[in-house]
Amino acid sequence: MQGQIATLAVIAKIAFRNLFASRLKTMIVGGIILFGAMLVVVGGSFVDSIVAGMRRSIVGSVAGHIQVYSSQSKDPLEVMGGFSLEAPDLAALDDFAKVREVLQAIPGVKSVVPMGVNGAIVPSGNTIDVALARLRDLVRRKLAGKASPADLAAYQAEKGHVHQILSVLQGDIKNARQLQDEKALSPEDAAAVTKAVSPAFWASFDKDPLDSLEFLENRIAPQAIDADMLFLRYVGTDPAVFARSFDRMKIVDGTTIPEGKRGFLFAKFVYEDQVKLKTARRLDKIKIARNERGEKIAQDPELKRYVRENSNQVREILLQLDEPKTALFRTKLQGKLGSAETDVAKLLSAFFQTDDANFDDRYQFFYAELAPALELYRIRIGDTLTIKAFTRSGYVQSVNVHVYGTFDFTGLEKSPQAGALNLMDMVSFRDLYGFLTAEREKEIGELKKAMNAREISRDNAEAELFGTKEAAAPEATPEPAGRTIVAEATPGVRPPEGEGIASKLAREDLVNRVYNPDQLEAGAVLNAAVILADERKIPETIVAIEAAGKRAGLPLKAITWQEASGFIGQLVMAFQAVLIVLVLIIFLVALVIISNALVMATLQRVQEIGTLRAVGAQRRFILAMLLLESLVVAAVFGGAGVILGALVVSVIGKVGIPAPNDVSYFFFSGPRLHLTLGTSNLISALVIVFVVSGLSSLYPAWLAMRVNPRQAMQAEEG
Amino acid sequence: MKTIVSVKNATKDYALGKVTVQALRGVDLEVAEGEFLSIAGPSGSGKTTLLNLIGCVDTPTSGTVEVAGKDTRKLSERELTELRLNTIGFIFQSFNLVSVLSVFQNVELPLLLQRKLSTPERSARVRALLERVGLGEHARHRPSELSGGQRQRVAIARALVTRPQLVLADEPTANLDSVTGQNILDLMKELNHTERTTFIFSTHDAQVMAHASSVVRLADGKFVDRLSAADAVAAGVNRRLPTAGVS
Repeated sequence: MQGQIATLAVIAKIAFRNLFASRLKTMIVGGIILFGAMLVVVGGSFVDSIVAGMRRSIVGSVAGHIQVYSSQSKDPLEVMGGFSLEAPDLAALDDFAKVREVLQAIPGVKSVVPMGVNGAIVPSGNTIDVALARLRDLVRRKLAGKASPADLAAYQAEKGHVHQILSVLQGDIKNARQLQDEKALSPEDAAAVTKAVSPAFWASFDKDPLDSLEFLENRIAPQAIDADMLFLRYVGTDPAVFARSFDRMKIVDGTTIPEGKRGFLFAKFVYEDQVKLKTARRLDKIKIARNERGEKIAQDPELKRYVRENSNQVREILLQLDEPKTALFRTKLQGKLGSAETDVAKLLSAFFQTDDANFDDRYQFFYAELAPALELYRIRIGDTLTIKAFTRSGYVQSVNVHVYGTFDFTGLEKSPQAGALNLMDMVSFRDLYGFLTAEREKEIGELKKAMNAREISRDNAEAELFGTKEAAAPEATPEPAGRTIVAEATPGVRPPEGEGIASKLAREDLVNRVYNPDQLEAGAVLNAAVILADERKIPETIVAIEAAGKRAGLPLKAITWQEASGFIGQLVMAFQAVLIVLVLIIFLVALVIISNALVMATLQRVQEIGTLRAVGAQRRFILAMLLLESLVVAAVFGGAGVILGALVVSVIGKVGIPAPNDVSYFFFSGPRLHLTLGTSNLISALVIVFVVSGLSSLYPAWLAMRVNPRQAMQAEEG
Repeated sequence: MKTIVSVKNATKDYALGKVTVQALRGVDLEVAEGEFLSIAGPSGSGKTTLLNLIGCVDTPTSGTVEVAGKDTRKLSERELTELRLNTIGFIFQSFNLVSVLSVFQNVELPLLLQRKLSTPERSARVRALLERVGLGEHARHRPSELSGGQRQRVAIARALVTRPQLVLADEPTANLDSVTGQNILDLMKELNHTERTTFIFSTHDAQVMAHASSVVRLADGKFVDRLSAADAVAAGVNRRLPTAGVS
């Protein structure tokens, strides 16, 4: 026993001495091991932290821990959305109340949120439509003899505004003509625009305002419509339960949807990014980049692009300017710029040509002096939105919802991913998705009775519906909240005529109706988010949910937040895979280099090894000696690498890595990524280091064991 | 007297690529305990090969080599190593000390491999032996701090520390100047005398041979003759020897 210890001691002694004797080799091998160990710790922590951040973001913004949907669905559920705009083909869970009951009975389930994700086209606040609607309102008042002197002035101003819009439109068409084949543009459309800007048309406008308006609405407005289409993804849910379950959610503007009512909440990010006046949005982005990230317009290509776009694309602002506003802008901009230019387009273009020196001043001037005269948001809080959505069977369904406010998630304010989903009440969602709810059925019955079951063909629906709009945009919703645009509706479901019960159902009643909880609960949902008390119990809860579904006769399929988040969830795995591959490559290279260095060292020590063998050392003594050398290097340098890595992680953990762009907010789950040190990373780093050292010692050790004691007698044959 | 080494008709072939080199072509040799035997012969005569066979670092292609009564061809690699550790001491031409160990540790090494003695016993034996070879003062030095002669003394101490029955020395003085070589031989001879250890050393130096109790001469892998030291010196080793059977 004592002998063994002494042998071990001599092995250790030789091993240690050798390490010192061949310092270069030790430093190379040790350096690689140190770097590798550090990389595993830091890289591992980085990926872990990002994965944790993404998990927090995904779980906390919409997915919950587990998503439940019908196992009869054709497509897998994707709550965060993939690249395609098409919603996955999901079978509905017909009775949410029952689903909730089954799920709530499972231990560890904290809450169940009904959901459905869909996309919608929102033809919102098209400038010309808004202007024409305002003009029509004024015309009506004038014709009815109710117009005040102020109304008459507004009437003149609005006419000028429409005229200005038409001029801009004509300019657009001229540009388009230069860009594309003339045949691509309908000559009738071009002729209509030419007619609309002609002095003759405006001279006769007062004589027959309604006909003139109709001409503008039917022939001119559609030409400008597409540019302002909005595509919105929304999640239909019970807003109250949603807010309770996803506690990072907070209302930014307005209020939440009152309990039991129909309504719509914009994601703050969508509201800012897509609904806000683009010029203003770009100014905001430049300001944020300059103030929060210290970027300079002069250096950053993206900021340069924003400035260029703001300077070139003043059309959106011009379209909003009626005559008095045009005059106001001219005066203000001339004063600000010290310019004699009279063309407001050129003045605006010059004004938005900002640089690092004048940006703050111009930004402040824009919001203080110009913005009050502009519609900053195409849709305002308080507006009623007519949402057209493609139902599952492909027809377009439309529903009116009141916009109550905007919301975001704490820490994810700037994330496009977390802020991509808007919120809608469940009843409207069901309508838009094409579910025939009990209420809907009753409503249709009443409608049919009221109208003698008159079917409206698609061809003339538009013309007929046009009347609806006229009748239904009345004083009940005072300006500007009455901005509803009705387009193609579903035959038999939307009221075609604006009178009586149909109008009532379509408008105030539906918008303002308060649904009782049973009505909300009993209907169909597409999926449900399940929030757990303990997120580590996801796998067993999934099993429990599917088993409970079977027992209750519900076709429930449960998936993790990661699976449910589709592409983004896969990113999590992609990150981990990339790290693993990177580590593998680095250690494979390390393995080769270390092995090589050890082989060289072994070859240099052939005589010494041969001598030891001749003197009486067994092969295992040699093996032990070499392995011990590798072990010592691995332990000392690997340990140092792990400690250094842990130090780096803890320093970065305290300071945090600032999110380099908006997308990173989602991965970081906040403005900064704070690395956390996981014991698993430390352990795996050490394990990897020892495995790599061991493996890379195998070949040199094998070589060393094969050294013949004869090789000690290095002297040539006698 | 008891025989310690018995070589009978030993041959050794080495494969050098496709060519087989016959390093030994049937050698017979008996060495009695206590001998101070020199193996002589020019380069390529098979001196080192014969020493390797006797030293159990190699086994014969045919014939037998018995060391301390054991047929080396019948021993496993591990048993050969055991035999080397316990029965044989080695002295190399280029000393072959472990450069990272001190003088003391180099000498102690075989004892540690043997695992027979306690620490104080080991220490006492190593110190005594170092005193004996005149390096009592240098126990803590590294081999690199010593002269060639001093290093060979360390090697001798290492070879003798296990009290082996047999010490093999391959050209022990070839790397030393003649005065130092002389001293080394004197030391070896003295130890042969006092410890009754058998020494077999190879050399082609007539001066070295002169110290031997007898000289075995080899040529072209064959045994030539076995002479007394004086006769061998007289015969002149460096001269090309006639092939066996002619003399």
